[in-house]
Amino acid sequence: MAQELERSALARKLTKPFSGLMATTYRWVDERLGVTDLVHQLLYEAVPRRGAWAYSLGSATLIIIVLQIVSGMFLLWTYVPSTTEAWESLNFIEHHDEFAAIVRGMHLWGAYVLFVVIGMHMLRTFVSGSYKKPRELNWITGVVLFLLVLGLGITGSMLPWDQAAYWTATVVTHIVSYFPLFGTQIEEILRGGPQMGPDTLTRFFAIHIWLLPALLVPMIGLHLILLRRHGEHGSWVNYEGVEEETEAERSRRMAEAEAPYPAIPSDPGYAVPVDLDEFFPSQVFKDALVSFALVLLIFVMAVVVGAPLERAANPAALNYVPTPEWFFLPLDQLLVQFPQAWMIPVGVFVVPGIGTTLLMMVPFLDRTPGREPWRRPEVMVPGLFAVLFLLFEAMLAVGRLFNL
Amino acid sequence: MTISQRRMSRRKFMIMGINAAGAGTGLLIAAPIVGSILSPLFYQRKQPWVLVADIQHVPVGVPTAYVVMLDQGGDAWQVPPVPRTVYVVKLNLDNQVQVITLSNVCTHMQCDVHWDINLNVFFCPCHGGEYSMDGTNIAGPPPKPLFRYEHKFVGTTLYVRNILTEGK
Repeated sequence: MAQELERSALARKLTKPFSGLMATTYRWVDERLGVTDLVHQLLYEAVPRRGAWAYSLGSATLIIIVLQIVSGMFLLWTYVPSTTEAWESLNFIEHHDEFAAIVRGMHLWGAYVLFVVIGMHMLRTFVSGSYKKPRELNWITGVVLFLLVLGLGITGSMLPWDQAAYWTATVVTHIVSYFPLFGTQIEEILRGGPQMGPDTLTRFFAIHIWLLPALLVPMIGLHLILLRRHGEHGSWVNYEGVEEETEAERSRRMAEAEAPYPAIPSDPGYAVPVDLDEFFPSQVFKDALVSFALVLLIFVMAVVVGAPLERAANPAALNYVPTPEWFFLPLDQLLVQFPQAWMIPVGVFVVPGIGTTLLMMVPFLDRTPGREPWRRPEVMVPGLFAVLFLLFEAMLAVGRLFNL
Repeated sequence: MTISQRRMSRRKFMIMGINAAGAGTGLLIAAPIVGSILSPLFYQRKQPWVLVADIQHVPVGVPTAYVVMLDQGGDAWQVPPVPRTVYVVKLNLDNQVQVITLSNVCTHMQCDVHWDINLNVFFCPCHGGEYSMDGTNIAGPPPKPLFRYEHKFVGTTLYVRNILTEGK
């Protein structure tokens, strides 16, 4: 009943800008389409009250992915996926189409900021132990999303078909040739032949604009459905004192919980955050400000720095030193550290494979009780070590590539 | 047989039909797609001979880079031939001149190597691979010697074609 009242109040609020025929039309459409119900479902739910700024990273990721999809769509107005014309079409943009150059800049800087924001989002989730039951699949779909975005990053960097793109594509496709048994065949399939050729670009173009986004979008949907199903976990600040509360207090809190809480199955006390807030407008306000700030940053970087375009691809190059995109520097360093024969597959498949598997298994490896990071050293210390290792590898790669 | 059992078998039949039709539909769509994905493995490439240089103009003991418009035998719909670098190495072994035509593609990750005059090695800038004058991998991550293009002479004129053989 209370919900019914709330919904009709929402309907009144939504129709407020309209009067007369407009309001009647809205009501007619709403009765058939259920817009008010939909808006109600999307906006009205309980979220943890404390630490809400840190929880805006997920929505920022979503907004930047939308930015990537939209800017990518409009890059296709000019870009030609052909080895003879790709570079020419982008060179035209850079010199004769200032707005398209900004769109291209936003697509590149959007990708850069996306990697940073996804990293922070993962780190936030890791530190607060939000992946604990029942949210294990939230974490796993998140890791899959991260891998898809990595794939989008690497395929996207091949498309300009300038020197950087060409040699990146060469190295990346050759890495797969070290795969046991079928390596050379997979390389040929990806390249459309034993060497880089015209169909190498069309393949990676298709993977970048269709295959990976077609996997990414439903995976985002699953990630959000899972978020809504279990509610937002928040972090330890939302569960202060829950382990000391009495059985009666706990069951009262469970009974009074607003949807989508209580999250079940949970560790005792962790089914409902202590203090709840409304998703709309409290959380949405913070989400909107953070996303705006990030998109502003992306816009400014696109206008001021833009996207570089090196000289057109030259397969006969003699002195070109390709530098991988910064988010692949740790992997590039592994190529140096695992030289020759059987070591190479270890460096390109086994080490990153073990790392990815461990990352995906985090919810099952972490058997610690509680949520405070200082009470979970078994997880926090290896996590910190992994982050430091990646930074260390990236620094080594930078030192090697730029002769520092 | 009771009615409910007969209903059950009718239901089972339809579920089997759904599975069979679903598998058939999937197979019909997937077969040509898988075929097209695998097609580069079976595509026949013609590799014509391409002129490099008159061998008399190539110095002995100094790897010399030539940019050759190696037609990739019409790799897919490649229209302009792709320029590639061929290192022609003229070695004097026991008063016998031997010519090898090296690819400048690093055998580690296929970056572009160049002959470093100061170090006297082929050097790869990506991950620091090094090769001796005859293409033997001597330092860094490369697992194999540099590949060699097939070559032939017509008189003193050197020709290569885009067929690679393992170096020694």
